[in-house]
Amino acid sequence: MNVLGIETSCDETAAAVVDDERVVRSSIVSSQIDLHARYGGVVPEIAGRAHLELLMPVVAEAMSGAGLERPDAVAATYGPGLIGSLLVGLSAAKALAMSWDVPFVGVNHLEGHLFAPVIEEPALEWPLVVLLVSGGHTLLVQATAPGRYRLLGQTLDDAAGEAFDKVARFLGLGYPGGPAIDRAAKEGDPRAFRFPRAMADEGFDFSFSGLKTAVVRTVERDPGASTPDIAASFQDAVVDVLVTKAARAVADVGARSFCLGGGVAANSLLRLRAPEVGVPTYVPSMAMCTDNAAMVAAAGAFRLAHDGPSPLSLSADPNLSLPWTR
Amino acid sequence: MILLGIETAAELVGVALSDAEGPRAGVWVRGERRHAEALAPAIAHVLDQAGVSLPDVGAVAVDVGPGLFTGLRVGIATAQGLAQGLGIGVLAVTSVSVLAREAYDAGWEGPVAAVVDARRGEVFCARFDGPTHETHPPARTDPAALAAELHGDTTLLVVGTGAHRYGGVFAAEGLHVADIREPSPRALVTIAADKLAAGETPVPGAQVRPVYLREADARINWVQR
Ligand SMILES: [Zn+2]
Repeated sequence: MNVLGIETSCDETAAAVVDDERVVRSSIVSSQIDLHARYGGVVPEIAGRAHLELLMPVVAEAMSGAGLERPDAVAATYGPGLIGSLLVGLSAAKALAMSWDVPFVGVNHLEGHLFAPVIEEPALEWPLVVLLVSGGHTLLVQATAPGRYRLLGQTLDDAAGEAFDKVARFLGLGYPGGPAIDRAAKEGDPRAFRFPRAMADEGFDFSFSGLKTAVVRTVERDPGASTPDIAASFQDAVVDVLVTKAARAVADVGARSFCLGGGVAANSLLRLRAPEVGVPTYVPSMAMCTDNAAMVAAAGAFRLAHDGPSPLSLSADPNLSLPWTR
Repeated sequence: MILLGIETAAELVGVALSDAEGPRAGVWVRGERRHAEALAPAIAHVLDQAGVSLPDVGAVAVDVGPGLFTGLRVGIATAQGLAQGLGIGVLAVTSVSVLAREAYDAGWEGPVAAVVDARRGEVFCARFDGPTHETHPPARTDPAALAAELHGDTTLLVVGTGAHRYGGVFAAEGLHVADIREPSPRALVTIAADKLAAGETPVPGAQVRPVYLREADARINWVQR
């Protein structure tokens, strides 16, 4: 069964065709990074406008890439994300499904990320722990089976990717902050500064706003501090907390595999240190870390099989959370 | 040719069909900023009522504004999706021309100022001297300044959501405000049918853009993303 997936929750306009829940027949991502770079972050109104201009060409390319005239279903992200961006993909997806007379299914963007490993790693063993880290989210999730999730911990303030963006902006490293800090850190000494590891020894929740403040104070106190050293020390602190907590979560729930997901999973230090958690570790390809529509199509195929189609009245939910099970 | 019209430029969500005999089915749903919830079911309902199936539709007409940004994007994304899925084209119609058309269809013969609420204390206004004769293209302006400019012109009819929001301002300048508020899907498909008859070719959905008339607000929303 071929599912056309559509993803417009933030600043990537994406469409993909996935067959049989895991065979990616096409996956097109049009990034808006250049449009938002000069603002140092994603500007919602600019994103909404860009999605409307980019979506149809991206859908056409995904369909022709898969050699399809008509898919068997259309899936689209309906949350969480920027409301004005979500509505573009959701509205177009419903219309496409109506015109092709095929089922429409709404997809939770976070569940989409959890399907990235399902697509790329057929040997995955449950239960697994997933560390989902992006510009909007920092979640530690236990998945007992596809579709069955338990929240272990989340950020109490800034998302990890948000901390990267804000610190990069403060250091004048540009946008997006993740790759900028990653690059700068390669020339720096991660032990030059000892930044706080908030709540590293307690629970599974995260906090990154104190770390961001510590970076700002350090630079204010010592304006001559080497930017690569600051970037490397900051990155070291973030990754240290993420890996420490993930390892503890893996041990705590007796997970058989560990997965990374989300844009911050593209960070080179995090990818390098992820196997420290002690169970087989799955690090997605760069294209599967960042937002894409193949993961949306895969999650959509799963939801369609389990829950059936979504109503045409489905609205976007900017604050949608994962469907937690006990 | 059967036309499907989509109207989401204001608070109300409207859908209408037309064929050789003119507009033949339409529905207006209270959207109240819930355009995405209301629109697709409204389309399904109108088609069902009219006994028309989507492959029978020959072109999609959509209101491209000026109006509510979110509403316009829901309507245009829907029009784009329908057109791309059906392999047909889109006719873009402005909100102000729909409002003016309603005045003329109701029998008005003088000039019309179509005024759409632009929020933040502003309006979008276009002026017409006949159903297809736009004398002033849509522009964003201050309602008091607009009313002062039109002052005392009793030959003129003022219509639209902006005309009603600032009804007192226009009345104080001696202007007639008609009871035409949101652009209607019926007038929208009527205009689109006229455009077709006049030889206008529907365009691919991807080419259709909203008429924003305002720069994007460049604030970053850290909380929502
Ligand atoms: Zn994401």
